[in-house]
Amino acid sequence: MKRFGLMIVVVVTASLVPNAACATSTMESSKLGGDLTISAAASLTDAFTALTQQFRQSNKGLKIHLNFGSSATLVAQIQSGAPSDILASADLTNLERLIDSGNVTETPKVFARNTMAIAVKPGNPKSVRSVADLVSLPFVALCSKTVPCGVYASSLLTMSGVVIAESKVTRGIDAKTTLSAVANGDADAAIVYKTDVLAAKKTVFGIDIPGAQNVQAMYGISPIRGSKNLVNAKSFIDFLLSEQGWQILKSFGFQRP
Amino acid sequence: MIARERRVGTETPKFVLVGASLALLFLSLPLVGLLKRVAWSGVFASVTSGPASEALRLSLITSLFATAIALLLGLPLAWVLARIDFHGRSLVRALVMLPMVLPPVVGGVALLGAYGKSHGLIGGLLYDVFGLQLTFSPLGVVIAETFVALPFLVMAVESGLRSIDPRFEESAATMGSGPSERFWKVTLRLLAPSLIAGVAVAWARALGEFGATITFAGNIEGRTQTTPLAVYLLLESDPEAAYALSFVLLAVCVAVLISMRGSWMGRRS
Repeated sequence: MKRFGLMIVVVVTASLVPNAACATSTMESSKLGGDLTISAAASLTDAFTALTQQFRQSNKGLKIHLNFGSSATLVAQIQSGAPSDILASADLTNLERLIDSGNVTETPKVFARNTMAIAVKPGNPKSVRSVADLVSLPFVALCSKTVPCGVYASSLLTMSGVVIAESKVTRGIDAKTTLSAVANGDADAAIVYKTDVLAAKKTVFGIDIPGAQNVQAMYGISPIRGSKNLVNAKSFIDFLLSEQGWQILKSFGFQRP
Repeated sequence: MIARERRVGTETPKFVLVGASLALLFLSLPLVGLLKRVAWSGVFASVTSGPASEALRLSLITSLFATAIALLLGLPLAWVLARIDFHGRSLVRALVMLPMVLPPVVGGVALLGAYGKSHGLIGGLLYDVFGLQLTFSPLGVVIAETFVALPFLVMAVESGLRSIDPRFEESAATMGSGPSERFWKVTLRLLAPSLIAGVAVAWARALGEFGATITFAGNIEGRTQTTPLAVYLLLESDPEAAYALSFVLLAVCVAVLISMRGSWMGRRS
């Protein structure tokens, strides 16, 4: 219940704040300098790499450091004092954990939505059509239960009433390594973010999961308390929430929250 | 330990002692940090329950198999490197040592390239002809562990072979013993300390393998999830169990080192 409440607050602020903030940030943006360290979920790797490249164009003096990993790992890093200015998480639960530990004081902003999809070998040799078909495959790659994409996969399977024996499930440490087990390894299928399947291009074959069975992954972002580059952090978040930022996210397959 | 007699001109400058102390501090601080976080009262319960105990059992079995294979293959290779003077020997030695310096994940990718069912050079053949799939199987874990452990054994045994005084074998030969009799009765006995050290280091390395294992053999609970993999994943869901398992691995490695007493790389104290 608590999480649901937060989500509503987040969605409302997300839709109100950016426009107001945007006007100021475009005026200031050419003056940004110094450092900006962004910790982002592994599933944001390509999108955030492109976003920061664009952001750097108008802020040539800014040194941006990107730190990708599972959202859970990033939270653990921040809690143990890793110098990060921003966390972009693949869920809101992990941002809540930072709120609980006092590392985040601002209400996180939801900036994108993602869904899950099935990835199989190119050409779909085992003729997988739905989540139910995964049961008969020799090996399925899922994310570790401790990271968002693993939690999403678990609830998706539960919603579909599908049980895959744990002895057939290899668990990747984040979304990218999980997909890689299909693209480069011998796993027959994986459940990962739709954006990851799109990014993998021809190395895998993607199968959509119908909306009723699917989960909606909400991506949240927040500056980290105690950040020495708070101005940079806020400008980047404004850029992310701007129309320009949205176009980049969209080009990688993310949906509006 | 007995201090060695110091010779004139080789006294240790002060700054060397400072550097050495810093190095020691740098290495020991993380260990103290780990020990401090272990919840001692719960160690036994943590490592004997659920995924932790399964991971330990799997690690023990696979690492022992890996060490056995490393011994069977590594001893002949070390012999060839130490005693046969052939063209390109240094190149072969560099190749053998490569897994020691290669990032283990890259090792895992390389193993997929060789033994993967779908993309491997001979992995598809193994599956089609023998129905053997190495990936996602405990055997795959053994392969990954052997790949990273073998060089350690070869290195220890090669330097052991080089330090054997050839006169022992020569006199055995003059007394009429043949090559294989000499190998079992003379060389192997003289080699024993290095061999034991090589086996111990190889075993410790196999036990600690992470990158090649998760990349090549996957991470299946009770099947390919070894102790280091379990530690990494438990760190987020059950930190207490993760620290308890880390302590077990640490204790095993310390025991290995103590039992070797510095005899790795041919030096015996």
